[in-house]
Formats: sequence, C-alpha cells, structure tokens
Amino acid sequence: MIDEFAVKSVAAVYGLAWVVTLAYIGILNAKMGRMERQLDEIAALMEHRAASDA
Amino acid sequence: MNGSHRARPDRATAAATAAALLMALALAMIFFYVPTDVSEGYSQRIFYFHVPIALTTYFLFTWGAVNGARFLLKRDMSLDLKSYVPMHLGVIFGSLTLVTGSIWANIAWGTWWFWGDTQLTTFLIIFLFNCAYFMLRFSIEPGERRATFSAVYAVLGVGLIPLSVIGVHVAQTNDLIHPITFNENGANMDGSMFLTFLVALAAMITLSVTMYLIELRGKRIDDRLRAIRRLAGGEA
Repeated sequence: MIDEFAVKSVAAVYGLAWVVTLAYIGILNAKMGRMERQLDEIAALMEHRAASDA
Repeated sequence: MNGSHRARPDRATAAATAAALLMALALAMIFFYVPTDVSEGYSQRIFYFHVPIALTTYFLFTWGAVNGARFLLKRDMSLDLKSYVPMHLGVIFGSLTLVTGSIWANIAWGTWWFWGDTQLTTFLIIFLFNCAYFMLRFSIEPGERRATFSAVYAVLGVGLIPLSVIGVHVAQTNDLIHPITFNENGANMDGSMFLTFLVALAAMITLSVTMYLIELRGKRIDDRLRAIRRLAGGEA
C-alpha cells in the first residue's frame, strides 16, 4: 500500500519543478515583449528621422 | 545577402528537443520502471529529481566559474555574459534544490530543515555565497571592472564545491543522516535506480543547457537593441 502523504510529497516536488520551469518561460516571454516594444520605438524613431530628412 | 548562405542549426532548438525527450523518458522511468525503495518507500522517488537538480546547480556554478576564468585570461566581454548566465541559472536550480530537499526532509525526518546535517548546511552556504554574486555585480557600473570583479567572485565560489564534498564525507562518521548518493565504492543504489538517476541527470543538465542558450540569446539581442537605439538617437 502506498502512503498518501508520500505521494503528495512526490507530486509537490515534481509539480514545483514544472512550475519553476513554466515561470521561467513566462519571464522570458515578458522580456521578449519588452524587446518587441523597443523594436517598435526604434522603428518609430527611424520613421520620424526619415520624415524630417524628406 | 549571400544567396548560398545556409541556415545554421539552432542549438537552442536542438537542446530543447533533447531536453523534452530525456525529461519524458526520465518521468516514465521514475514512475513506471524503477522499483519502490524498500526502506524509504514511495517518497524515495523525490531523489530522482532532487539530486540531479542539486548536481546541475554545481554544474552551472562551475560553468560560470570556468567562463569567468576564461574572461580573466582573454578579456573578452562576451565571456562575462557567458559567466553571468550560468550563475543566474545556478541560483534558480539552487533554490529548487533547497525547496525539494525540504519537502523530502519533511517526510523522511519530520522536519523541513535540520541544521545538524553537514550536506544541507554546506549547500546553503554555497547557495548564499553565489546569491551574493548578484549583489556584487549590480553594485558596480557595467564595463570591464564589473566583469573582472564578477569573474573573480565566480572563480572563488566554485572552490567551495569540493570543500563541501570533502566536508560531507569527513563528517560521515559524526552526523550521517542525509543519504549519500556516491561513496568510495561508487553509486550507492542498484542498477535500475542508477540508470533512472543517470537519465534524470542527463535530462536536467540538458534542460539547463537549453535555458542557458535561450537566456544568452535574449541578453545578446537586448544588448544589440540598446546599441541600435543609441545609434538611432533614442535613449539607451
């Protein structure tokens, strides 16, 4: 017979590892969103500069 | 553009694929192949994730120190980033080691933490020493000085790992309550358990390599974006 407390502890360890991995992916996604916004700003700056030169 | 340019194999994608396959295999072996330990029971399965995570932490701190030492020799700023990223990931894996270890301790010893255990205490010292790396790094302006201080600190930190291993084995006679995975006779487990452990270790190290490659790429792109923004006349 398997001890229920042991099963819960094992599930907690394995679940936690996956939660940390998913949190890491979430943080990376947030960073990529910030880089995307920076790219948009650079594109806007370049467009503004091209319009000024014209 | 060069018309004959071939797309370079994406190392991060290859590593992520390998990590996913190894992780699936490791989980299948842990829950469907390896027998339940006679003395510890079902909770012993925590070992197949906890110990590989701890060893991956050591691997990452060592990797950060090696790249730190390479920076000190070559003065190549790209090596500073290659030293910083494993240190950062090492702290993530180190946190996970402490939490998963505490869950195991709660079921095996009936307490979340035991200060009398040499292995726990030395791991905590190594972890806290490497956490302080970030306090040092971010208290110095970016540049070669920061990279030099960070590299020296990373190299000093890795010296604690063998000291910890020696300390644990010296202390064995006094306070051995923490299971020892390896001793002077080799792996302290039977064949199927050792095989499962090796697959889980390979999965964890491959996962850390994947995270390293992705984080390194993100930081390089971020640096280039800042440089382009400066050139475009915006603020960095």
